[in-house]
This record gives sequence, C-alpha cells and structure tokens, in this order.
Amino acid sequence: MTSSNQYDAIVIGAGHNGLIAAAYLARAGKKVAVLERRDVVGGAAVTAEPFPGYRFSQFSYVVSLLRPEIIRDLELPRHGLKILPLPSTVTPMDNGDYLAAWDDHDLTRQELYRHSPRDAEASDEYGRVMARAAKAIKPILGLVPPDPSSLSLRDMMRMLKVGQYAKSLSEKELYQIAKLLTMSAADLLNDWFEFDPLKGTKSASGIIGTFLGPSSPGTAYVLLHHYMGEIDGAFRAWGFCKNGNGGVSAAIASSAHALGVEIRTNAPVQQVIVKGGRAAGVALANGDELQAKVVISAADPKRSFLQFVEEKHLPGEFVQQIRNFRVRGSSGKVNIALSELPDFSCLPGEGPLHRGAISISPSMEYIERAYDEAKYGQFAKNPYIDMIIPSMIDRDMAPPGHHVMSCFVQYAPYDIEGGWDDAKREAFGETVISTIERYAPNIRRAIVGKQVITPKDIEAIAGITGGNIFHGELLLHQLFFLRPAPQWADFRTPLPGYYFGASGAHPGGGVMGAAGKLAAMEVLKDWK
Amino acid sequence: MSANKRWDTIIVGAGHNGLVAANYLAKAGRKVLVLEARDRAGGQLELHAGGQLRPDIVRELDLTRHGLVAGTPAPYISLLPDGRRLVLSAADAAATRGSIEQFSAKDAQRWPEFVAFMDRTAAFLDAAYRTPMPRLPHVSLAEGLPLAKLAWTLRRLGGKDMFRVIRAMSMSTIEFTEEWFESEELKAAIAAVGIHGFTLGSMSAGTGYTLMHNWLNRGGLGHRTGGTAQIGDALVAALKANGGELRTSSGVQQILLHRSRATGVRLNSGEEIPASTVFSAADPRRTLLGLVGAPDLPTEFVWHVQSIKMRGSVAKVLLRTDGAHGLPAGTLVVAPTLKYLERAFDAAKYGEIAQHPYLEVTTAGDVVSIHMQSAPYKLRGADWVDARADVERIAIETLAEHLPVLKASIRDVRTITPRDLERDYALTEGDLNHGQLILDQMFFMRPLPGWSNHATPVDGLYLCGNGMHGGAGISGGPGRNAAQALLKV
Repeated sequence: MTSSNQYDAIVIGAGHNGLIAAAYLARAGKKVAVLERRDVVGGAAVTAEPFPGYRFSQFSYVVSLLRPEIIRDLELPRHGLKILPLPSTVTPMDNGDYLAAWDDHDLTRQELYRHSPRDAEASDEYGRVMARAAKAIKPILGLVPPDPSSLSLRDMMRMLKVGQYAKSLSEKELYQIAKLLTMSAADLLNDWFEFDPLKGTKSASGIIGTFLGPSSPGTAYVLLHHYMGEIDGAFRAWGFCKNGNGGVSAAIASSAHALGVEIRTNAPVQQVIVKGGRAAGVALANGDELQAKVVISAADPKRSFLQFVEEKHLPGEFVQQIRNFRVRGSSGKVNIALSELPDFSCLPGEGPLHRGAISISPSMEYIERAYDEAKYGQFAKNPYIDMIIPSMIDRDMAPPGHHVMSCFVQYAPYDIEGGWDDAKREAFGETVISTIERYAPNIRRAIVGKQVITPKDIEAIAGITGGNIFHGELLLHQLFFLRPAPQWADFRTPLPGYYFGASGAHPGGGVMGAAGKLAAMEVLKDWK
Repeated sequence: MSANKRWDTIIVGAGHNGLVAANYLAKAGRKVLVLEARDRAGGQLELHAGGQLRPDIVRELDLTRHGLVAGTPAPYISLLPDGRRLVLSAADAAATRGSIEQFSAKDAQRWPEFVAFMDRTAAFLDAAYRTPMPRLPHVSLAEGLPLAKLAWTLRRLGGKDMFRVIRAMSMSTIEFTEEWFESEELKAAIAAVGIHGFTLGSMSAGTGYTLMHNWLNRGGLGHRTGGTAQIGDALVAALKANGGELRTSSGVQQILLHRSRATGVRLNSGEEIPASTVFSAADPRRTLLGLVGAPDLPTEFVWHVQSIKMRGSVAKVLLRTDGAHGLPAGTLVVAPTLKYLERAFDAAKYGEIAQHPYLEVTTAGDVVSIHMQSAPYKLRGADWVDARADVERIAIETLAEHLPVLKASIRDVRTITPRDLERDYALTEGDLNHGQLILDQMFFMRPLPGWSNHATPVDGLYLCGNGMHGGAGISGGPGRNAAQALLKV
C-alpha cells in the first residue's frame, strides 16, 4: 500500500456536512480524504441539468439555515457562495384572490389587513415571539448533547453547559420553548390567527420533511427549526444560492480543497475496516483500501451503522436503536423546465410574485387532509406545494426567455401502497401539475420537461435511506441527546475511531452544516 | 348548620378530586365545606364502570371502612372482526400467552417483558405525579429536592429503561408498539388504551405517554371491575367522619375576591359564603374564566387559560339490558387495527362522528357501558340534538356486530354526548380530563406553565381537579397534591 492511501481522517460522503467536517479537520492540519459515491459532490445539495440548458437545485433548493460561523470560518463567499434573497411568499386562494407576504413590512401588513385586521394586528407580535424563541433556542444548535445517563466528567460538563444555558433564559422564554417543543403547529397558529391561507402557509414550515400533519404534536418545533435561519444576520430570511444549491456545495468543496482536503468522487465505500476494535480505514467497492486514524460518516444513520459497519462490531442494543430510528420520507420534488412563466390567475402577468416562493397551502385542513392520505399509504391528491422559480433570480439557470421551476411537494410517502413504480411516479407528477394548473392555467402548455423525484428516488440518487430529507424525522424522540441514538449523540459511536456527523445527528437537517462542524470538533478533541 | 360558621376552605365541586382534597384538609383539622351543583356527589364517576382511586389515598383516608370495595382484576378483551378474541389477563399468564399465540408466538413470548417494563414505567410516572412541579428556572431547595429524587428514580431504572421511558413519552403508540410486537391485533389492543379518553389517534405523537398514564391508572390494560360506583359515597362518608361538610344542589356562581384575594363564594341562589381559602375541583378554564372572571386576572394569563386545549370527543352510551347481553366480564374493546384507531380519530379532526368508532365496553350487572370515540364536541354542519341518535346507532351497531344477541337484550338506552358532559357534569367542551393530556399540557405545563403547583394569580384560590399535574383519570392524585400544597404553606 502506498502512503497516498494513508490519511489522518476519512470522511464518507461529500454532502455539505461531510465537506464541512473535512474542511474543519484540514484546517486543524489533518490530512483528510472525502469519499463520494457519486460523480458529483454535494449529496442532497446539488445542481443538475436534466434537460440541456435548464439547471435545477435537484433536491434541497433554498438556503437559510447554513450556520454563519461556518460561512465565516471556511470563507465561503470567497469560494463563490452567493446568496440571493427570496423576497416574498404568495399563497393563491381558491376564490381567485391571494395572500402575499412581500419584503416590505408595511405592504405585507396592509395586504394581511385586507384579509383579516385581527391577524394583521397579531402578526408583528407573533413574529417577535417566534424570533425571540428561535434566538433563545439557537445556542442548543452549537452544544454537544450530553448523555443524561452517564456520570462521566465529560457528560457532567456537558450537562452543566445545558444547565448554564437554561439558566440564561428567562422564565417566559423557558416556557415558550417547552411549549414550542411539544405542541402542534395547528394549536400554535390557531392561538394566534384566524385567516386560513395564512395559517396554512405558516403551518407548512412545521411539516416540511416530517411525516406528520399540522395538528400532530411536535410540529411546532419543526416550524421553529425553520425559523432559525439567518442570512447576513437577518433572522428568518430565506435565500437562493447562485447556481442553485450545488453552488453551496461547490463553495464548501472549493474551500475544503484549498485547505488541502482530497475529494474523491466515484468512490463508493463498501465497508469500514476495523482493526483491533478500532476503525482503521475503509474498503472501497472497487477493492481499494484506504487507511486512516479516524473515519467520519456523513451518510444517514442506517447506512452508517447497518451497512458500512459489520454488525459484530456494534452492540446489539445500539443496532436495534438504529433500526428503530425513523426515516420515513414524506416529500417529493417536481422540477419543471418552462417555455414561459406560469401565469397565476390571482396575479396575472409577470410580477414580483415570480421572484419569491409561491405556496399552495390554502388552509391547515388542506395540508392535514394531504397528510391523512399519506399516512394510509397514498400520495396526496391535493398536495402542499412550495414553488420557486430560480431562473427569475439567477438568469443563468435557464435559456434566455425560458424558466426553471422547483416544486417541493408533500405528502408523498416512501412506503406507498404497492411500492413506487414508473406509473405511480408519473401519476404523482401529474397530480402536481394539475394542482398547479388550478392556479396557473397555462402551466401545462409551458412545460418543456419535467423531472419527478419521489422519496424512493431521493434514496436511490442521493443515497438517503427512506428518502427523508433530514436523514431522520425531526420527531421529539429523535432530537438532541436521542439523535441518532441515546448515549451516542455526541458524534462518537460505539466503534472507537468511527464518528458520525450528518443530518441524522444533532441538531438535524436542512443545509445547516452544524453536525459536520460539531463532529469535526469532537474528533479534534479526542486527538489531543 | 349555623349560617355564620366561618369556613377555612370551601371546595367547589364534589367530584372525586374535590372530595379527596376536602378529606385531607378536614383530616388536618381544617373546617371544610364542599359545594356541589348537582343533587349528588361523585361528579363523572357515575359514568365510568372502571377506575380506582390510588391505593395510598384509599389507605390514608381509610375508605374501605367507609364502604369502598376494592376492584378485582378482570381480563382485557379485544373483539376482532373474524370472531376471534384476544384475551389479555393479568391474573392468568398461561391463558394470555395462549391467546397471543393465536396471532404471534414471538409476541406471546415478549409479553411478560413488556408488562414488566410498563409496570416499571408506571411506577416512575406515579412518582412523577407525586412530585410537585416547580416554577422554572428558579427552583427552590424545597422543590429541588423532590425533583432531584425523581430524577434519581428515573436514573435508577437503568440506562436502557430510562431512555425507553424518555423516548416513549413523545412517541406515538404505533411507533412504540412496533418496537415491541409484530401482531397488528396486539399492537392495536395496546394502542387503544393510549388514546382512551383523549382526542388523539394511534399515530399522534405523545400517545406513548398517554398509554403509560392510563396503564398507571388502571394497573394494566384492563380496568379492575367493581368499586367505581362506591368511590363517591365512600369519600362523602369519610368526609363526614373527618368533620367536613357537603352541600349538594349548591352551584357556585362566583368566587368572591377582595383585592385579588379569594374571600369566599356566591351561590346561584345568591347566598354568599365566606372562607379563608377556596379550592376549585372544576376545570381550570371554568374556574378561572367562569367563576373568577377575566377582568380580575392578568391579561396574558387569561390568554393562556383561553388556549388550554379542551376538546372532548367521547360519548357514552349506557344500555340497560335484560341481562342477556352476552358480554363477558372485563374490559372489551373494538380496536382491530392501528389504522382503524387512527381513522376513528381522523373524524374528530374534521368535526365528524366516526362511522367506525373505537369502543371500550364494560358491564356492571345488566348495564352495558359503552365508551365511544370519536364523537367530537364541536360538530361541523350538525348539532348534538340531531347527532345524539347517530351516536347511539353507531355505537350499538358496531358492538352488535361482535355480539349478535346484544340488540334483543336492550331495554333502555341513555346517551351522554360531549354537550351533555358539559351541561350536566360541568366539563368544559366535554373534556373528561379537564384539559387534554398532550405533551404541551403535562407535568410543569399542566394546566399552564408556571402554575402547576395548584396556586393561581388569585391569592387563596387553589386548583385541585383533573386539569392539574397528575390529573386525568380517577386516581385522586391532584386532590391530594393540592391539599398537601396548602397544608405545607
């Protein structure tokens, strides 16, 4: 074996978390390799060109949660990261009217006032309360979860940190967080608002990526999770990455590369090599073996522990817990190439709505009923759809005059009755098109091409078991010190030398990067 | 009774919690008066064919001497569409094993381990319900010690059980039971207990917790039978022996305040009765917004009280039969599959009566008592005057599918809708639990964050009903806890 196959650390998977973990390790002077199964880096943050000239953020499609300190530490703007704001959200209504949230506070307020003076009054206060709660809970994102059953010094120190954090909060903040962690998005929003399209649109943040309806307890937390993003210090702002979300990955990869990380694509990992009870490297599918002092998996928990590591190297209890980890995919994606802009009957012609998000979420009940269908094994016949038209923000995404539209769709269950096949995928795509058609009648004739992605496809292409966009649902019993398994939430695993740093670890999913960074930091702590 | 007798404590409501609180206070030498709007004590007890007071309360109040009969364990029986029955009996391990084996040999083997785990979990929950919940984040030493003890109880379960308990709290029964069993029939039978009495489905997060809760109160899946009907009478007898007084047909109209301190109550009759402290066993919303009134409370507090989730979706159908109803003794359920239970709940979400409801059925002699879910308080496009007949029909038809002889045996039917529960039993929105037992309304958040220690913003007014920490069910825990809280002050 040549020394070129010897590393300090090997990272499995070049998704954003894997790349970030690798970059931080390289920054600390380690020799690091990232191994990617596919021919492109980025994992679920990739830009693809399924039709010549039309480029799409294939899976994840907006940015907000990416941690600002990571952007700073890895100098991502210097490496090409450019985030363009998504200024508005428009919800077309069934009566031909619409609800809009513009990037102008007064306009938004006026607009809401038109529908419900009461909600317009409540809206500012709600925004303040949620922003406060998000700010209050945010430090948790940077904490290594303690093992509450452990009496080790390390865990006691971590407990102390959690305690100190809790002490820093006021009584009101504590209760607010406790409530938000446990209640349903529907209960939360019903307490504040009355206007159905407003509640529907807001509740959507509470169900994205989960297999729950807005009235399920725990969805208020998912809603809050989506409130924790910031762009340039502006809380709750969502943006679109220049060149699509592949642009995020490209910037991180470029930064990692500059720091000396070796990135190998087309290098699927077969297995983690274990020597003397320690992870000692990996064997690739082509038979090559790479040696390393530590191995970090940025794949999902199921792959990381049930596929890459032989069962005999892990405690039975732990294996069982990983088997029990819930990874039910619930969302799909339809990427549409268009010859003209969709013309929404509620706001005809080209307008500012095309530069923001367009949300098919007329009410919470609409979304709840969509969930009901999915929980019994069908895709929703009337789905929640979040549309954006990246070519309106970044002209390079489509040929001149043409457009690309990204539609995030929920619910589409991974475990659809009878299993997914081409006919069901086609039917799912058709459901999405005909749903949009109700609000934008020209959509069908504008379609140049469409790519339909089911949870099964997310699994097959991005390598995420179950097709869950968070590598595991953000359920209460899968958060913090329980993510991915009790006693192993500190990015270490029962196999010494093997670490875990992806969305399936604390603090969970979205293009956030916190798990990758925290894992790298823990690796470095153990190094000393 | 002398009119000018000065009471230490007036207790609003002679349900089991009010009476338990009254007994503890009277026993401690307080002069106690219990006021009940109805013409008899016992509150909603008369609606339940199963349910027991907590054993330590029975013991401490010497209720056996006052006529309380201990319930006897009875089997829990799931009636299945193909005519088979899943019979789970705490008293007969061999029969239980044999019955589960019809569906899964593996599950039959796993069952004793599950029961042992649930019993340990229930013991922890029991300890939690006895521990006063603190106001965060400034936990005093007096609150901190019992809390530390509780944390130690949890730790002592061992790492494995401890995490199982923590996880199960926020899980759904579908997730929870899937980690234990493979048989749909068994999983559904267990899940049914998790949603019993709550507006939740087998897929709702938090039903793992409600399963533990009901397991604790029942001592397993099935109710002990007998004794529930005597709880009220025994508590009243004990109260008299302890020197307390009960006045029935004395509905309270208003809790009287002077400078935001409770000074007594005014009855519907106009009579005013002064007292140093007032306990309310009515639900928090009714007590605070109805009997005190929003103008006398802090605005934000009122807002929080208004948003307590009360959403009854249970109807009771009581059948008086000629005795030949054909029902075996025990707790019978119609809960064939997990999805069946979830669909029964779906109806409640949209204000509809479930066409295929979850039923739990118990018998006391000739009387068959059917608990039916979902029959939501807030109906959409219908009112409860018309819907009463639907509930009756659906409940009887659903049960008769399993017991063909039932229909011919019926002599009289009494249906209690959620509206009736509100009007006749003073249960706001027909919620048997005085507030849903959902994750954001439990422990230190029950009834409201910061107010789980029985006190209210009104000095001298305490809450002691099922809407409090440890409440929901017939345990009497909140009544005892509230009395202890006052006696400590």
